[in-house]
Amino acid sequence: MRVTKGAQIVAGTALLALAVAACGGGASDNGGTAAGGGSAETPVRMELGEPQELLVPSNTTESEGSETLAALFEPLVNYDENKNAVEAAAESITSDDQKVWTIKLKSGYTWHNGEPLIAQNYVDAWNYAANQENAQSAGYFFGRVDGFADLNPGEGKPVTTKTMKGLEAVDDTTLKVTLTAPFSQFKVMLGYTAFYPLPKAAFGPDGKVTQAYGEQPIGQGMFKMDKPYKKGTDQTIDMTVYDKYPGTKPKNWTKLQFKLYTDSDVAFNDLQANNLDIHDSLSPAAISTAKSTLGERYQDQPDAGVGYIGVPLKYNPELNKVDVRKAISMAIDRKTIAETVFSGTRAPADDFINPAIAGYRQGACKACTYNPAEAKKLYEAAGGPKTLELGYNADGGHKEWMEAVANNLRSNLGIEAQAKPFEKFASILDELDAKTYKGLFRMGWAIDYPSAENYLSPIFSTGAIQTGSNYGGYSNKKFDDLIAQGDQAATVEEGLKFYQQADDILNEELPYIPVYFYRNNSGYSTSVKNVKINLLNQIEWADVEKA
Amino acid sequence: MGRYIIRRLLQSIPVLLGATLLIFAIVFALPGDPIAALAGEKRADPNIVAILREQYHLNDPLLLQYWHYISGVLFRFDFGVTFAQVPVSQIMAGKFQVTLNLAVTALLIEAFIGVGLGLWAALRRGKATDTMILASTLLLISVPTLVSGFILQFILGVKLKQWTGLDIFPIAGISNGLRSYLLPGFVLAGVSIAYLTRLTRTSLAETLRADFIRTATAKGLSRRRVVGRHALRNALIPLITFLGADLGNLMGGAVITERIFNLPGIGLQLFDSVYLREQPVVVGIVTILVLIYILANLVVDVMYAVLDPRIRYE
Repeated sequence: MRVTKGAQIVAGTALLALAVAACGGGASDNGGTAAGGGSAETPVRMELGEPQELLVPSNTTESEGSETLAALFEPLVNYDENKNAVEAAAESITSDDQKVWTIKLKSGYTWHNGEPLIAQNYVDAWNYAANQENAQSAGYFFGRVDGFADLNPGEGKPVTTKTMKGLEAVDDTTLKVTLTAPFSQFKVMLGYTAFYPLPKAAFGPDGKVTQAYGEQPIGQGMFKMDKPYKKGTDQTIDMTVYDKYPGTKPKNWTKLQFKLYTDSDVAFNDLQANNLDIHDSLSPAAISTAKSTLGERYQDQPDAGVGYIGVPLKYNPELNKVDVRKAISMAIDRKTIAETVFSGTRAPADDFINPAIAGYRQGACKACTYNPAEAKKLYEAAGGPKTLELGYNADGGHKEWMEAVANNLRSNLGIEAQAKPFEKFASILDELDAKTYKGLFRMGWAIDYPSAENYLSPIFSTGAIQTGSNYGGYSNKKFDDLIAQGDQAATVEEGLKFYQQADDILNEELPYIPVYFYRNNSGYSTSVKNVKINLLNQIEWADVEKA
Repeated sequence: MGRYIIRRLLQSIPVLLGATLLIFAIVFALPGDPIAALAGEKRADPNIVAILREQYHLNDPLLLQYWHYISGVLFRFDFGVTFAQVPVSQIMAGKFQVTLNLAVTALLIEAFIGVGLGLWAALRRGKATDTMILASTLLLISVPTLVSGFILQFILGVKLKQWTGLDIFPIAGISNGLRSYLLPGFVLAGVSIAYLTRLTRTSLAETLRADFIRTATAKGLSRRRVVGRHALRNALIPLITFLGADLGNLMGGAVITERIFNLPGIGLQLFDSVYLREQPVVVGIVTILVLIYILANLVVDVMYAVLDPRIRYE
């Protein structure tokens, strides 16, 4: 049997090339990770999903990127165990009229490249974030600062200035912020990712934050990045404690490693096999195993998120009757949904303000109590619609509980209720706008800053119909007034009284129907102890100890 | 031979161009605004959406958008950027390596186990061994990857380490070098092992009944030489076709395996990018997959000539 020489060579080469290509990669992967754990110390390993964007504070509005940045930056304020904002990188944050705020910086903070932290760093970062030309997703956080409108003239119009007139670095340690209107909760906002400063080194010659900075941000916080994070390729983000960090550092460890997972249950397997130390987003499926195998190392605590059934008030007059909404609310068996559908990873909602935040009052929402008999009577008396659709976005695991709610409505109100999937949440809003859909819809809210105000104004104020998340189109003059009074109050606490009165109106009128509060379910390995999670779902790294 | 290969490669150019346009158009036709969807469940600021749409040429008609993309690829070797401003070429380089490692591991596993079991079964046709092998392949075919993946991961990854302290099969990620690919490779190869076993068995059994085998045996050759040199070589032709085509399947179809074992490969990337409607990433990955199919088929055709001297390409 003769074989042509040419064919033999070609076939041989092809096979060899394939084998070499495959092996070559294996070797380099090995080298890459060995560098990360180069020292003798094994890092504390933390579960993370892939950040959506490069690591730039002003362009980070989702949890995974925020969690990473929180380790690298020191915010102006932190939140203590009593849910209050306490100064961190700031020495003091004061205002006489709630409109002009003076922020004094603590001394001792330096950037990871050695530059000192100055007030101008905040001015630069905030001006950059607010400028519409930079298309930063967290730009809206600066909407209350005087001069925001100049940087956001609107679609297609050129921006003629680079700065907001309400921002001023008085000297290296003093920052003056002027708002367009008084806002008593301003200090509470400042702990969020969007308000981190940026060093001079972040900006390129064109005045934009560079790609290199987004891959390896230089912060002024507890940890410093070891090497650039190549998004899409790297499976870990490695950090080391920054020597010159002036705050409290972790007691007996210095290396932190975020491990990127696409599936929460896979990360849980890694945790059980001790390949991972902290997992802060256990799935409902993992809860019962976690309780039995982790024991004390399983934690369950309130999380600031709320899940609602949204009501399209301005699109559907049939639902624009308080009694109809009350009846729907009373027909929902929240306890069973929280315990069965969510395996206890949610708690039944009984207020518009979440228990994790100051201002929550247990049982404030009277119509949130399950009462099928009363619900049916009320619904028939008010002449509620005979059919109801419940829209949900099919990409977020909402099918089960929306089906459960539909089921409740069918059996308790005796109407045709049907859960209806949409591709994404944005598709529901599009169809509501286009008037091709006018049913109920699923809605969730995760806070931007831990103030009761954040559960009210961005979702239910008249102003938020245009610029915020008021998708149902609820509008109530008295509610708007109370919010404004709260904003103008002299202190955070005094403001809260007005917000609670505004909350009473919502509990009475039910523009949305609150269904559940989120809970945070986390677990950790035997190699660490004293793991605490703060209001923003971030780990308090200084408290964590190696066991 | 050389001219044949060059002709085949030239033929692939229109195929590639057509495939890119088709994929581009399909992603274009998906409903919804990808930029607005980036904001998740909050309504994106219309100013920012407008600026970003402009930046990614999303307001242009389909053909113009396609031209922006393809001219970048052809003239500047620029595959575009993702919505997070990461170059697509960087993402593809890293991810293809992972999937290639996985696919080649799977291919080697299925070739050794599949052909080995098939040979064994063919030589013991009708006996207990044969029946046992056939029954176990039936099991492999009927258990979905999702199930076998999670079960093997739990038993060999979690439990084995808890019981014995031995860390042989990593659960997730690629941080353990080639060892990371063993278990996922086996899971991915599962169904193919079963098919290949059955194919080998049938093919070899048929060849063993052929006239030239009787001749070879009659002229006094040893059993080993008859099977190894005469029968197996002829029986290999359909197997090579199967393995060649399977490389493409393994690379494009590893989504589930990649997810279970947290491997950052192209299957997962493709899934995410279709969801986010990142055209440059989807088109880039699919184009390279098409290229791999074309090359794998070419190699298969050339292998025919190696195995069977009667086949010549000129």
